[in-house]
Amino acid sequence: MSGGVYGGDEVGALVFDIGSFSTRAGYAGEDCPKADFPTTIGVNAEEEGPADMGAEQEINSGRSYYIDTTALHVPRAGVELISPLKNGMIEDWNAFQAIIDHIYSKHIKSEPSLHPVLMSEAPWNSRAKREKLTELIFEHYNIPAFFLCKTAVLTAFANGRATGLVLDSGATHTTAIPVHDGYVLQQGIVKSPLAGDFITMQCRELFQEMNIDTVPPYMIASKEPVREGAPPLWTKKDKLPPVTKSWHTYMCNEVIQDFQASVLQVSDSPYDEQVAAQMPTVHYEMPSGYSTDYGAERLRIPEGLFDPSNVKGLSGNTMLGVGHVVTTSIGMCDIDIRPGLYGSVIVTGGNTLLQGFTERLNRELSQKAPPSMRLKLIACNSSIERRFSSWIGGSILASLGTFQQMWISKQEYDEGGKQSVERKCP
Amino acid sequence: MASGVTVDDNVLTIFNDMKVRKANVNEEEKSKRKKAVLFCLSDDKKHIIMEEGSEILQGDEGDPYLKFVKKLPPNDCRYALYDATYETKETKKEDLVFIFWAPENAPLKSKMIYASSKDAIKKKFTGIKHEWQVNGLEDIKDRKTLAEKLGGASVVTLEGKPLND
Repeated sequence: MSGGVYGGDEVGALVFDIGSFSTRAGYAGEDCPKADFPTTIGVNAEEEGPADMGAEQEINSGRSYYIDTTALHVPRAGVELISPLKNGMIEDWNAFQAIIDHIYSKHIKSEPSLHPVLMSEAPWNSRAKREKLTELIFEHYNIPAFFLCKTAVLTAFANGRATGLVLDSGATHTTAIPVHDGYVLQQGIVKSPLAGDFITMQCRELFQEMNIDTVPPYMIASKEPVREGAPPLWTKKDKLPPVTKSWHTYMCNEVIQDFQASVLQVSDSPYDEQVAAQMPTVHYEMPSGYSTDYGAERLRIPEGLFDPSNVKGLSGNTMLGVGHVVTTSIGMCDIDIRPGLYGSVIVTGGNTLLQGFTERLNRELSQKAPPSMRLKLIACNSSIERRFSSWIGGSILASLGTFQQMWISKQEYDEGGKQSVERKCP
Repeated sequence: MASGVTVDDNVLTIFNDMKVRKANVNEEEKSKRKKAVLFCLSDDKKHIIMEEGSEILQGDEGDPYLKFVKKLPPNDCRYALYDATYETKETKKEDLVFIFWAPENAPLKSKMIYASSKDAIKKKFTGIKHEWQVNGLEDIKDRKTLAEKLGGASVVTLEGKPLND
């Protein structure tokens, strides 16, 4: 066996799954990740003496990072929020390292050199980035064995499919990724920016139209109950440090994201003003104490995911709705495998948890798909599995005894260099 | 991408026996040929082996297709080979079908292992024409679906039974 003796079972392999919204990390073989925290991290760009509580100092650059929910939420002067990812790929390597360091020191509490690591990656990750990551993992962290695996493949496997179309709608984008016999068909990947962040942006505009201030909880010292629809009565905390715009926006977005999850619903047929007007209203109270009922908006906002033609602020009709993303992707694959893809459309990602998302997608696809195709949509019912599917898949894979021959071992890396990642992890 | 699970030599022997047909066999030998067989993972999850007692022989009584469907475990995954006999408008045909059975109710771990190991067993079955991923009884219990797989609309009967009933 070329991989040496690094078996998942014996030494406790680690699984890292870094998404555009949150990062998941934990031991292979467990049911759910040990850590799940925002991928967005705070960075203090100004070099000013020792960092305060909760900061994780980086020795070389003198930048200090604020990672994980608790540290991130403390208002601090001059802390900008950044994400190490761009377009699903690692862009800011220092920030990425800060996250990995944080996982080891705060969650795993062990030495990197003791555990093999399986990491997920975006299916369109570039060769240069994969090699750079491999180099970093072996040279800097001295990890005994490493494996890179595409998120879509892990998700498909975890749903009992070697062939299928993975529709992943997360925070920054919605993608359709065809998987055939356990390999991603690169030419068939279709991406659209209509995803969770897009909905957040739409909600923000709605609030502006309705003259509702989104006040994040960090600003509020106290509030008093007010009647429905009445202006909120709240007092601002004094001595708030001058926070940056990016940090404030993030906190506002968190308020909106809660609204998104509790109020919005995808209409089961194309949006119709009259139907929407008869929607039961939902009562929602903002952190500021302002509360009102939402009716037609509940359906109107998520409609943009499926039918972007009527969305304000989008240029023309160039963007693809979710249904089109799926059909376009399948249309770009070989005609012989299309029935297999239509027969296993796997829905995953946090944004698909919007109420009614899968029902609407099912409807759209049954209209758009060729009539001879048998269509089947697969969506786990539990939100844990939908959000963590690729992590869970990686966790099972890395814990298999037989998987040990698949790892890139330290020895192989020393002999073959960073190119070994292309050979071992296609 | 694969899991590293290996395929037992016995599996290959069974495949070759099912694939290669001898001419001039007498009735007795013919009835002992395998009609269908299931493969599962060994207990240590390292090899793919034949599942004991799962095979259906050509000479067995009853409708082999129905019997085969009944053999599939409702809560676990399997691989299977099925030797289908069917008739098109022109001729009578026989074809081997490789089936990957992964019902929705199977445990996540089992789905993951079987899906990631499918490539290993498929690679051993050289020359197989039909491959079928089945994820629930509703996909397989109707013989029309298999008939479609085998020859599209031209198939008239499967296992001697007409499709339109």
